[in-house]
Amino acid sequence: MPINDLLQKYVPDANTWDEMYENNSVRNQYSDVMDFFQQLGTEELNKKEEQAKRLFMSQGITFTVYSSGEGIEKIFPFDLIPRIITASEWAFIESGIKQRLQALNLFLKDVYNEQFIIKDGVVPIDMVYSCPHFLREMIRFPVPYDIYVHIAGIDLIRDHDGSIYILEDNLRTPSGVSYMLENREITKRLFPDLLPNNGVQSVLDYPDILHKNLVLLSPRKISNPTIVLLTPGIYNSAYFEHTTLARLMGVELVEGRDLVVDNHKVYMKTTNGLQQVDVIYRRVDDEFIDPLVFNKNSMLGVAGIMSAYRKGNVALVNAPGNGVSDDKAIYTFVPAMIKYYLNQEPILKNVPTYQLSNPDEKQYVFSNIERMVVKKTNESGGYGMLMGHTATEEERIKYMAEIQKDPRQFIAQPIINLSSAPCYMNGKLQPRRVDLRPFALCGPQGIQIVPGGLTRVALREGSLVVNSSQGGGSKDTWVLAE
Amino acid sequence: MLSRVADSLYWMSRYMERSDGILRMLKINYASSQEDLTDEFSWKPVLKIFTYMTEEEADGIALHSRKVLQHMVTNRENQNSVYNVVTMARENARSVQDHISKELWQCLNEFYHLMREGWVEEALENGDPVNVLDVLIKQCLLYYGTADITMARGEGNIFMNIGKLLERGIQTATIVDTKFSRQNIQEITAEPADLRYLLLSLSGYSLYLRTFRSGFEARNVVDLVVLNKQFPRSVSYSVHKMQFNFERFYTQRANIDSYNTVSFMMGRIKSKVQYSTAETIIQQGLHSYLQEVITSLNEIGVALEKHYFAYF
Repeated sequence: MPINDLLQKYVPDANTWDEMYENNSVRNQYSDVMDFFQQLGTEELNKKEEQAKRLFMSQGITFTVYSSGEGIEKIFPFDLIPRIITASEWAFIESGIKQRLQALNLFLKDVYNEQFIIKDGVVPIDMVYSCPHFLREMIRFPVPYDIYVHIAGIDLIRDHDGSIYILEDNLRTPSGVSYMLENREITKRLFPDLLPNNGVQSVLDYPDILHKNLVLLSPRKISNPTIVLLTPGIYNSAYFEHTTLARLMGVELVEGRDLVVDNHKVYMKTTNGLQQVDVIYRRVDDEFIDPLVFNKNSMLGVAGIMSAYRKGNVALVNAPGNGVSDDKAIYTFVPAMIKYYLNQEPILKNVPTYQLSNPDEKQYVFSNIERMVVKKTNESGGYGMLMGHTATEEERIKYMAEIQKDPRQFIAQPIINLSSAPCYMNGKLQPRRVDLRPFALCGPQGIQIVPGGLTRVALREGSLVVNSSQGGGSKDTWVLAE
Repeated sequence: MLSRVADSLYWMSRYMERSDGILRMLKINYASSQEDLTDEFSWKPVLKIFTYMTEEEADGIALHSRKVLQHMVTNRENQNSVYNVVTMARENARSVQDHISKELWQCLNEFYHLMREGWVEEALENGDPVNVLDVLIKQCLLYYGTADITMARGEGNIFMNIGKLLERGIQTATIVDTKFSRQNIQEITAEPADLRYLLLSLSGYSLYLRTFRSGFEARNVVDLVVLNKQFPRSVSYSVHKMQFNFERFYTQRANIDSYNTVSFMMGRIKSKVQYSTAETIIQQGLHSYLQEVITSLNEIGVALEKHYFAYF
């Protein structure tokens, strides 16, 4: 085989773990695939890249950016080269996430009921009550099957020594799973037989597992409960995902204005009158879900839905109030929770995190700010954070002044040198930083994680921020069968 | 089915029928405009039916075929341009993607992206306009075929059919009314060429030749495009099929009052057309007859909104 310069010119950054390369040779799990891509050659790869763009566009796998009154369709950039995870590594990740979710569900149940963990001094009381996502409306409400987190997206990263860390837990309305499914469909079309030849595990079960869990949650024990997916509407950037999931599960996609509450029961308005709704997979945030209880200006929610929920007449997925468990300050306590509730050592490590409400830790962070990432505890999507090593002196000073106003709302972490993976860009193979978001489903019959996930890519050279709202892309993520 | 979903399917279908109608009408009128030797051809009737232009604006471009085509196909300011109508059809489809087949969604989505490609504007400006219209008409045909083959025969399909047929009935009646310049039929002294183009734009030319062998007469043309049940663009065909589709809601017992109201209105207009002849239309006056049809159809549209689509 001729030595193709695709690989020769590939130079990962120093002091960084590369998913494909190790000591100038290709890792085992990547070797077959890289052979395949080398043989394909750049010309063919360029065509495939073009073809992928066309497929995304014509299938409407897009989000719309509205500017000057006219919608512009954008695609979430897709990289041709898959990210590959070995079976043994996946088994490790899977067990770690299951353990973590088990503890987080127990924490939510505890914190909204007896609060043993606070009484035993493991989690400080002010940490919980100062969290804006802690909902008093959820206190002493027996959530069906004690499940608060039905769907979780857990973000994982890998440091320079190859060890895996939890970056954050997304336990409210995590998104991105449609890209896991669609990226796989695109690979099937671009590269015939590549998936079976490499023994890649299927991710197709996801909608079926989710649907089965939703059916089991129905408060009315009837054979054919009405399940709906509540979306904020077509202007939401994740609308494509909502419609994909509704279609794949065969459930009704509804907006707030389609639903009405009467006598503590939720109904949808159909052409044949009102029809009772049993389970709502809602993709509307807590704050907007019920104008009678939360934000009274919300047009996205349904008036009275919380009372119907508390009466047990409808199931909400995920449960409201989960924000207290994926708060970035609470995150620090998750390893302690795992020990407290499960009496186990945490399988997956946390990134060391400094609480800025603690004066000593704040002092430490301030004097080492150029080596820190500082984040707001209740924001996600890469908004409102400071990357110490790239920020200017002025930005740092401004940000530190912001922190002084309310230190509880901030945490800091040492900058982790995310691992890199090869991306095909501008006709060359180039290293770009990646993370991994597997999607876990908790139902009455246990926790299931489809073997795969969303690999997000920081498209800018050297950038460590992978969020799609900050110019990230994605890859098909393969978990090998053996 | 959710009321909102029914509403979107109905409008998606109406908008697609409208874009098909506009495109066909443009194609035939373009052909007619190029054969005109006596300087009598004007785009004004077309502009009057399909746009909200003022008298002066319409006069301004009525003799410039390219300008009219640009205004009717790609002008973003014109609410009723094919560009905007297709965009609206696609926006409606986008909000009900889980209720239409994936093929139908892709078909509409591709039509939408096609309209935004520069070559449409470019070809209308400098190239062969008939080719542009043909390509776009083919997209409409693709839509009809895809809808027919891939959509389940459920409630959603019924609302799509009702939307399509209602729009078609209104369009045919409006085209006939405007083409005859709101005259009454006994006064019509239309040129055979005009009648031929009217039939061509409704795809009824060959059927007319097979049905009437005595040449072009206004009375016979009205007979065909209003009353002939075999002609798929006639008013009669549209109202018959619309009622036939709607009758399937008879089984929805929970909403029987709504059904009764709309069914009554549809039955009335169907009977009105069914028990008309060319003679009775002449007696009533063509313009007043067609206006009555259009008003009834619009009222049915309003009743559907109220009884089936209201969700606010």
